[in-house]
Amino acid sequence: MMAIRIRRAAFALLAVFLLYGAAAQLLRDRLPDRVWLGAHYVENVKLLPTWRALAEEGAYLIQSDLLLQSAAVSARRVLLGLALGSVVGLFFGLFSGWVARFEYLADPWVTLFRFTPALALLPLYVIWFGFGETSKVLLIATNVAVVTLLGAHQGVRSVPRVYLEAAASLGASRSLAFRRVVLPLAFPAIFASLRIAVGLAWVTIVVAELIDARMPSLGYLLALSGAYPRVPTMLIALATVGALVLGCDALALALHARATSWMRRAP
Amino acid sequence: MTLKRVFSQRWLLWLVSLAALAAAYTFVSSRLERPDLVPPAEDLAGALATLLGSGVQLSGADHAEHEHHHHSSEQVETLLQEGVTLQGALAVSIGRVLFGLAVGVPLGIFLGLWMGWSRRADDYLHPLYVLARSVPPLSFITYVMLWLGHGEAHRLIPVVYAVATTMVIPAYHGVRDVAGKYVVAAQSLGAGGTLLFGRVVLPAAGPALLTGFRYAIAIAWMTTVGAEMLMAENGMGNLLVGGGLWSSRLESRSDPAVIIVGIVALALAGWAMDAVARAAGGRLLRWVR
Repeated sequence: MMAIRIRRAAFALLAVFLLYGAAAQLLRDRLPDRVWLGAHYVENVKLLPTWRALAEEGAYLIQSDLLLQSAAVSARRVLLGLALGSVVGLFFGLFSGWVARFEYLADPWVTLFRFTPALALLPLYVIWFGFGETSKVLLIATNVAVVTLLGAHQGVRSVPRVYLEAAASLGASRSLAFRRVVLPLAFPAIFASLRIAVGLAWVTIVVAELIDARMPSLGYLLALSGAYPRVPTMLIALATVGALVLGCDALALALHARATSWMRRAP
Repeated sequence: MTLKRVFSQRWLLWLVSLAALAAAYTFVSSRLERPDLVPPAEDLAGALATLLGSGVQLSGADHAEHEHHHHSSEQVETLLQEGVTLQGALAVSIGRVLFGLAVGVPLGIFLGLWMGWSRRADDYLHPLYVLARSVPPLSFITYVMLWLGHGEAHRLIPVVYAVATTMVIPAYHGVRDVAGKYVVAAQSLGAGGTLLFGRVVLPAAGPALLTGFRYAIAIAWMTTVGAEMLMAENGMGNLLVGGGLWSSRLESRSDPAVIIVGIVALALAGWAMDAVARAAGGRLLRWVR
């Protein structure tokens, strides 16, 4: 069963790989290489670079240390924002799930942030905190905080009342019940929100870097390759972002599987 | 009695919190005395009034007369010159969001149902889907522009893509995890084809689809605003970054009053759309309870 699945996955990936290569070869001389770029035409643009061109460009980007440096800068921002945002979000989410009064009190604030599109805050943060690291990290942190807050809140709320009553009737204090009953049961919801937050953080940072393209970073690389335009660089930057998102997601899933190995699984 | 208690608890605290939000803002803005960072409430009201009414071009004399009522700044001037209004920008953005949802939701549901339904399709398509999902939709906006030129298409494609990749997940899991049992039962009773799909699979996946749809609305808003900030000459994202076209936009002095008004308007629009989706979904899924 598993062998078939792997074989089919490999087949699909290989098929896409070959199809792209064939299309790039076939269309190499047929696609227009004069491209209208908003204000002027740009000559000599390869819309579909061949695998060979992509490999050469990739080798250059790695050798010149541009790609790794960019990825490191972006990853650092994502990690900082994630750490900051999830600590704040989880704290308030657990608190508002556990204490009903606080939930009502926090509701208007949460609603305001929750329905604000993640990137709309960027211009405001740029005014408040300037260009550079602070505004970007805080932008990620804000979005991560909102998502994890809702996840933690939902997680605490989904704990059946019976469990709490059982714990209380067995003499557990409220803090013990919180630690031993509520937290473990809320964990899957918290984790699911964290996983969404990781993806959201990457989306946010790349676009924030695109809008304010200054330092070496993945968004900057995308903006730079879009300005010339240099398609191989653009595609490699895109693939790098995709690979990082994929890697983070896989890491998150692996951690989740480890942390919840005590739970019974659906077959 | 119960009603009174609920009212005193929930709504009172809600109002208290809202008042505290307003009071805290007023306090900070008056204490800081930096209208270029935290504009006082009257500046916000002024910006709102100007943005709502700026469809009418003010003549020179009128302008001077209105100067002290109306809020004025570089960003407001630029927007006024371009004839941007808050309601106009909001309408454009809502149009893009709705287009993204209208195309992306059926696309995503179709793909999700297909992969959830057929083992074979899942085996072939899922790896490709995971790869495609990992690429942030806004990051390839420039590449799409190279292909299709500078127009409406390259702003809408990322929105459609974002919505579709979001909707695949609930449709997939709705069929896989929820519908499984019912499908076996219906099949053993002789149902098949359209009947099975329309009367068993879709309703069973309903709650998951509704949750996914509400999430897709948020994603569509975020992508739309981002795309407009990057490359559009209209819409809310354009209003937030203060008009003009995308290069060196943030160089000009931005006006926090306009941005705050824009953010609150976006939050309200997103909230309203979510409320509509929730109400409509609740009606459609009444049978679940």
